[in-house]
Amino acid sequence: MSTRVNPTFIDDLDRFGAEDVQLCYQCGDCSTVCPHADEVYKFPRKSMRFLQMGLDRKLETTLEPWLCYYCGQCSEQCPREADPGETMMSLRRWLISRYDFTGLAGKFFKSRATEVLAIIIVALITGSFMLFYGLSRGSFHIYDGEGAFLPSGFIHKFDLTVGGILALFLIMNAIHMWYLVMIKGSPFPVSPWLYIKQLYQLPWHFFTQKRYADCEKKRGHALYMPWLLHLGLMLGYVTMLILVMVFIERLQAGPEIRWEVHIFGYLASIGLIAGTIYFIRGRFRKHYIQYKKSHGTDWVFVVLLFIIVLTGIAQHIFHRTGLLELANITYIIHLMSVVPWLLRMPFSKWSHLIYRPLAMYFAAIRRDAITQRETILSVNPVLIK
Amino acid sequence: MCGTNIAKIVDVEEVARFASGLPNVALAKSYKYMCSNPGQEMITQDIREHNLNRIVVAACSPNMHERTFRSALRSAGLNQYLFEMANIREQCSWVHTDPVEATEKAKALVHAAVRKVELHEELESVSVDMCPNVLIIGGGIAGMTAALEIADAGNLVHIVEKNDHLGGNLARIDLTAPYLYSARDLLTEKITRTNENKKIHIHLQSKVTDLTGFIGNFKATINSLNGKETGKKKPVEIEIGNVVVCTGYKEFDASRIVHYGYGKLPNVITSFELEKMIRAGRIETKEGKTPKYVAIIHCVGSRSQEFHTYCSRVCCMTALKYAHEIKSANPECYISDVYIDMHAFGKGHEDFYRRSSEAKTLFLMYEKGDRPVIHKADPKDGCEMLIEVNEKLSGELIEIPADMVILMVGMEAREDSHEIARTVNISQDKEGWFIESHPKLEPVATTTDGVFIAGTCVAPKDIPDTVAQARAAAARILARIAKERIEVDALYSEVNENLCSGCRLCNTLCPFSAIEFIEEKKQSHIISALCKGCGVCVAACPSSAIKGRHFTDQQVLAQVDGLFGID
Repeated sequence: MSTRVNPTFIDDLDRFGAEDVQLCYQCGDCSTVCPHADEVYKFPRKSMRFLQMGLDRKLETTLEPWLCYYCGQCSEQCPREADPGETMMSLRRWLISRYDFTGLAGKFFKSRATEVLAIIIVALITGSFMLFYGLSRGSFHIYDGEGAFLPSGFIHKFDLTVGGILALFLIMNAIHMWYLVMIKGSPFPVSPWLYIKQLYQLPWHFFTQKRYADCEKKRGHALYMPWLLHLGLMLGYVTMLILVMVFIERLQAGPEIRWEVHIFGYLASIGLIAGTIYFIRGRFRKHYIQYKKSHGTDWVFVVLLFIIVLTGIAQHIFHRTGLLELANITYIIHLMSVVPWLLRMPFSKWSHLIYRPLAMYFAAIRRDAITQRETILSVNPVLIK
Repeated sequence: MCGTNIAKIVDVEEVARFASGLPNVALAKSYKYMCSNPGQEMITQDIREHNLNRIVVAACSPNMHERTFRSALRSAGLNQYLFEMANIREQCSWVHTDPVEATEKAKALVHAAVRKVELHEELESVSVDMCPNVLIIGGGIAGMTAALEIADAGNLVHIVEKNDHLGGNLARIDLTAPYLYSARDLLTEKITRTNENKKIHIHLQSKVTDLTGFIGNFKATINSLNGKETGKKKPVEIEIGNVVVCTGYKEFDASRIVHYGYGKLPNVITSFELEKMIRAGRIETKEGKTPKYVAIIHCVGSRSQEFHTYCSRVCCMTALKYAHEIKSANPECYISDVYIDMHAFGKGHEDFYRRSSEAKTLFLMYEKGDRPVIHKADPKDGCEMLIEVNEKLSGELIEIPADMVILMVGMEAREDSHEIARTVNISQDKEGWFIESHPKLEPVATTTDGVFIAGTCVAPKDIPDTVAQARAAAARILARIAKERIEVDALYSEVNENLCSGCRLCNTLCPFSAIEFIEEKKQSHIISALCKGCGVCVAACPSSAIKGRHFTDQQVLAQVDGLFGID
């Protein structure tokens, strides 16, 4: 069965950031230097070729873009300056928009104005809702406990609602991804046992980002710095997310806060601040090839995150020092950035968090399935036509 | 010795000893590189000191160094034809492995040469007048360039053009790759200058039907092809000294490849049809719509076993030019470029390729021999046609949507090239291209002295190469005209008038048309300037009336005796 070429695809991808892909002449240098490319998953060369050929129907079923952690070695090696690393990144952005059934992700990636507008709208709705709630129920001069401006019980319910919406989007998109990759993109059915056997891949890759550390480029840094910071940033916001989602009532219980909560909160904050500053600095200085081209959405991501972290910490300081009105104001600003940032997750690069471990999981399953099939074929070729 | 080339197999000292023992041999020497300057000086000195009157050099092929040693003889004051070469390299040391037997063979060859050279006669080369007029067949860019070059030097030029206008194939093209100069601009200047030049006689709608004579003294007959309109024109006879053939190419007939449906699918067009559209200013389908998807297929008729195995050289860049032109005429249009290999060899070509890549052209590669197939698409496909290709770089079977398909038809020798070759007496290769006298060192000369070839009648080439060849031919001709007379090698055959019976057997056999029949005497006569001394007529003559100078029967028989060691 032949695959239809979509000549307009390459123009579409341009808006996701893949500007130079047509310069590639398929020498394969990129795949040679890539520490992750192997016999089964040949990238970036093959992904580049599919993109050059306008084979979007093939590409939407591939896992290769997710297997790349953008160390940038391929882009440094490329004799044609076709920037394979950025192309893989653009393909991930495009894949996020493909998995997303609402179509919002694509719109945000293609137009920064739309994204910023959506964020402002969500922020304003959140802000006015909080202001309205706070003024009608509590006192502006009280931060926590009885008669608080934004009581923790209410925020807890609010967080859970937002989290629920978020989870719903993510789960739907993840199912879509599974369908595209494992059903549509698989030439043969995969045994359910493999899904169970490889299940450990999900938490393993989620928490360690092991393959990111495997990028030779990252290994070359002292103390695996980029990986460590990335991990710190990621674990930081996951810890923070859990703290806020689950333990917010204890966080704001009153002047006395349990030390476990404190420790986790401070550690997570340090991770977040260090990571955010590191990546913002990187994007400004462009000293790594990965940061040579920042897509509009990359900026929105780090800038919002930075505001969230700053307001979160400021809030804590104001609360501790008794400046309760200021604490309430920063709280509202904090929520105004958190909600759009969270709701944006399924439609943005943030969804890496989910798609990457999933992709590792699927990749391992597929690799096993291929080995299995080859074993069967080598024993009895007639079994599979 | 030729370094170790000869000496490693043949015992050259032994051969020299053997030669010095032969009758009539006064001196025999071996030397490391006889063709070197010291080697030549040694020969010159020995001739003077020992008063030698015949020289044999046992070394390489006479093709290689006969001229070198002849000049050594001349500088010693000896007639250059009193010389013979024994080829003990190509015909001995290079092809044998047994040193003993090879040495024996070398001796035999030397013996044969000695026997032959004994009978050599002093010969003088002849010289003939050079008519300064030039005939140019073909009025394209090559023809006009050569004509202007020669006419600007003050010589009369006749251009014979089959069509009713000058310009040739270039006149059918809009822009040229890779710098996108307008072909019209390139041509207009040349055509105006050609038309205005009083030294250039243009014969439009005419062809050369006959060419007789030899270098410096040709006679050509020009016939008008346009008999009906202007009444039967009389054939024109002109006298010329040199001829340039630049008859150009014709495009491959795309309907010969059934896969592409050319002639059946309305929107499958050839590159020349697209040029016509671009010149008219509208690129549209037969239905009058602007195409959204355009596909360009390379190597149509070229680089295939069934049609032509050669590369047509210009199509790759022309295809990139189309991608550029179509995209700039309609930025909404998407172009797929289906190719075998992208040949971007020329100056500025690689940059042009790169720029086309940046214009988001889809480059899709197919395997030589695994041709794409064009189908009519379904209405629901949203395009006119689908091209099925086994994409080589990805290994995927793909379908490319297309509203218009452009076939990059290759270059072919013209159908009448055989006729021209016969008229001007030059040879063609199996594809019909005219053959140069040496593919690298004599790219514009032919085996017929005074007949030159230039441009795409020799092989596919682009405009710069064509122009360069035309100017090269012109330069060769101008150099000869400047000399006014031309020397002809003394190796020609002669008819003994006392013996010739006038049977005319030799007239038809001569491969160089060098034998004419003199009606008054009823005898054949060899035009020495045309004769190459091949000896066909000598062998054929039933009354042994023809003598091949420098290869007389006696000389050849003595050589054979020498081979067998008979003194």
